[in-house]
Amino acid sequence: MSDSMQFYISTLLIYLFIDIMGVLGLNLQFGVAGIINFAYIVFVAVGAYTCAVLSLGPDYAGNFQHYAFGASWPFPLPILAAGVVSGLLSLIVGVISLRRLRSDYQAMVMLVLSLIATLVATNATGLVNGPAGLATVPQPLADVLNLAPLEYQWVYAGWCAFLTAVIFLFVRGITNSPLGRTLRAMRDNDRAASALGKSVTNLRLMIFVVGGVIAGISGAVFVEFIQAWSPGSWLYPETFVFLAAIIVGGAANNWGVMVGTLLVPVGFLEATRFLPQVFYDGFIEAMQWVCVGLLILLFLWFRPQGLFPERPSRFQPRPQAQPAARPPE
Amino acid sequence: MSQLSAAVGFGLITASILSIAAVGFTLQFSVTNILNLAYGDIMTACAFAAYLVNRLGVNIWISLVVAALFGAVFSMLLNRFVYFQFVRRGTRLFGMIIVTIAMSLVIQNVLLAIFRPTFFSYHTSPGASYHFGGMIFTASQLGIMGIAVVAMLGVHLISTRTKLGKAMRATATNPGLARSCGIATDQVIDVAWLLSGALCGVAGVVLVLNTATFSEVTGATFLVPVIAAAILGGIGQPYGAMLGALTIGVAGEVAATVISPSYKDVVAFGILILVLLVRPQGILSEVASAKEVAA
Amino acid sequence: MSAEGISFVLEVNDVRRDFGGVKAVDGASFSAQRGKITGLIGPNGAGKSTLMSIIAGAIKPVSGRITFEGRDLTGLPSHRVARAGIIRTFQMSAEFAKLSVIENLLVAPRAQKGESLLGAELGRMYWGRDEQALVDRARDVLDRFAMTAKENELAGNLSGGQKRLLEIMRALMAEPKMLLLDEPFAGVNPSLARQIEQYLLDLRDEGLSMIMVEHELAVVERVCDPVVVMAQGKVISEGSMHDVGAREEVLNAYLVG
Repeated sequence: MSDSMQFYISTLLIYLFIDIMGVLGLNLQFGVAGIINFAYIVFVAVGAYTCAVLSLGPDYAGNFQHYAFGASWPFPLPILAAGVVSGLLSLIVGVISLRRLRSDYQAMVMLVLSLIATLVATNATGLVNGPAGLATVPQPLADVLNLAPLEYQWVYAGWCAFLTAVIFLFVRGITNSPLGRTLRAMRDNDRAASALGKSVTNLRLMIFVVGGVIAGISGAVFVEFIQAWSPGSWLYPETFVFLAAIIVGGAANNWGVMVGTLLVPVGFLEATRFLPQVFYDGFIEAMQWVCVGLLILLFLWFRPQGLFPERPSRFQPRPQAQPAARPPE
Repeated sequence: MSQLSAAVGFGLITASILSIAAVGFTLQFSVTNILNLAYGDIMTACAFAAYLVNRLGVNIWISLVVAALFGAVFSMLLNRFVYFQFVRRGTRLFGMIIVTIAMSLVIQNVLLAIFRPTFFSYHTSPGASYHFGGMIFTASQLGIMGIAVVAMLGVHLISTRTKLGKAMRATATNPGLARSCGIATDQVIDVAWLLSGALCGVAGVVLVLNTATFSEVTGATFLVPVIAAAILGGIGQPYGAMLGALTIGVAGEVAATVISPSYKDVVAFGILILVLLVRPQGILSEVASAKEVAA
Repeated sequence: MSAEGISFVLEVNDVRRDFGGVKAVDGASFSAQRGKITGLIGPNGAGKSTLMSIIAGAIKPVSGRITFEGRDLTGLPSHRVARAGIIRTFQMSAEFAKLSVIENLLVAPRAQKGESLLGAELGRMYWGRDEQALVDRARDVLDRFAMTAKENELAGNLSGGQKRLLEIMRALMAEPKMLLLDEPFAGVNPSLARQIEQYLLDLRDEGLSMIMVEHELAVVERVCDPVVVMAQGKVISEGSMHDVGAREEVLNAYLVG
């Protein structure tokens, strides 16, 4: 296999794993717990920014970029910090906005929050270097490992695969447990869940924070790979790519949304990258977005449960002596 | 001081544009209970429709009428063949908001694909300037304010004086009851979307008239102040939308002059978030809480 | 609290609630006895459902007191009221549609080990045993209501009557001290309705207290004793169905509506 082919595949794998991490987090919030978080990408961004400034070293006069809280923390501390900061921010946002608003109002609050976040990041120039964003973020352990670029990429892909597996097991631990069941119940009918004694607000807040932590970690891992991050990297429509992956793959089904991630952000968007540029540069991108929108609509119409629907738990049948009575109609 | 009165003047223009848009938006919500987040993109589409006609040499004010017609028909068809179909299937509230955002993505990017990522403007001139106190208005801007007044009066008259208006209000308050009173709610909803779609179209064109250049994101960017105005005044209440538009329009321009230009958006965002969190039912609403009362 | 050997498990005292000027509940007071099915009847708009929602904690009263087993529950949110032992069923089906029937039942028990984040992550080793006990209990309930065959069916696919049964079964899994039933027979076919009636009577005989809002007076007569009559937001009469049915104020209330 040629070197450039290897570069392409390893990059694709890294993108795939990072997207899967992000989608698993959003799936927890949206697919399992029914929290609409149109601002998800903001928490990814916060993780990325945190990791970036904690790896870039302190800011200094004459630096080409200006940011707050610079430090030179060694790997993997910036990633952990990213998770913590995103988690804290999720806590604050959750406490403020996860009130009993009707669900589409709640969705709008999140959407507007993401727009405000973009405004702040772009205009507060000393914070994360405004519209230009941050660059030259060092790759973790690059000087320790001392590898050729291609080898480093494969190692990084392996690292992403490992992290993804950890996050997958963590998320699955929730969804396969009584907690997962309670969350799905709350999603399906929060009044009934409350009437059975479940504290809906606390559960939602908890999952919102957990999802935020995962989002932050995925952002951190991403920025350590592409080494740059700016407001253009995380505009609010990005959340809809993740959402499309969830809707197509199958909300609340962890394997389903991973397939959805393979199909939508990676498969579809990657495949169309190779189409020749027609009409003008950027036409293909515009059509990609049209297709993402249409994909969401088509699936919501024809197969809202996704390719791999959610599967309720089944229990070992007990040794049955007599046949069960016929249920009433 | 003259800066302040000039700012108020700008505020009145913005409020005029906002009120046309916000009343349309709130009307759609009142009869179908949907927050149509594609509204801004339909405004853009109508602005483009006017642009095409205008490029053929037609006067912009006539093109505006064409845009209004386009907006009316497009919005009505959108509701009938997309939104209503999902609602009929039992799609829940947050499912509908995803549907409207998906439509927004589609419309915006289709416009981008057709017209390319560049800026456009109308073939028109602002006209002479007029001074009122410390405020300065061009003839165009006076025209915009005039249209806003006419539109608001029209909505008021239709709503209160005509059978259609009463039917719309009945459908908005209680569709089931309206139906059992013999009101053809389906047709009323169609008409409501025609009307609000026309307002959407007018709003799109006057928005562009006031901002000189536009692109495929112009309408979508304007949507936040529109929603802010609609919700501030009480979603579903046309008079509330007018009040909200006035507040946000003037407050935004004053903030832009007094503090800094980038604060214009912040005011709209800030007001919207505050209202959503503190009093989601808006100022003029009589509902005790934001439509989530149990039992 | 007891008087003459009657034990009152729930006391509602002068509760008031209005919506934008309309007085839905206007000073309602009554007491529900332990181990009885108390009927809550009255013409349309009397405030019965609103009062039920207030007792269940879904709506806050503007004034008044609600005491359950001596504990003041006034103004507590619904999940707290549920934890105190009052479980309600809803007028319109409130099943967890994407969960299976048995999963619906398994949601109900309180304080499950696997419901905390840490507990969930510790895995089956930690919560598996309790879970199996709950599964066994749920299966017993399914057997009792003849729904065993539907164990793995998605709750959203059940018929209207089956969903009603599901709500009652689910409420039972929560081990309630009192059940609030809001029109439990609405939309259910007559033969299933009779079965549900019998289940409720059996549960009452086993000691479960219930309050039931019901429109059909024939059903109330068969199932409820005593009966509380509401009109225009107030309680206008209490007593057995026989006594109450003869009282003038009650007849007037139904005529005036």
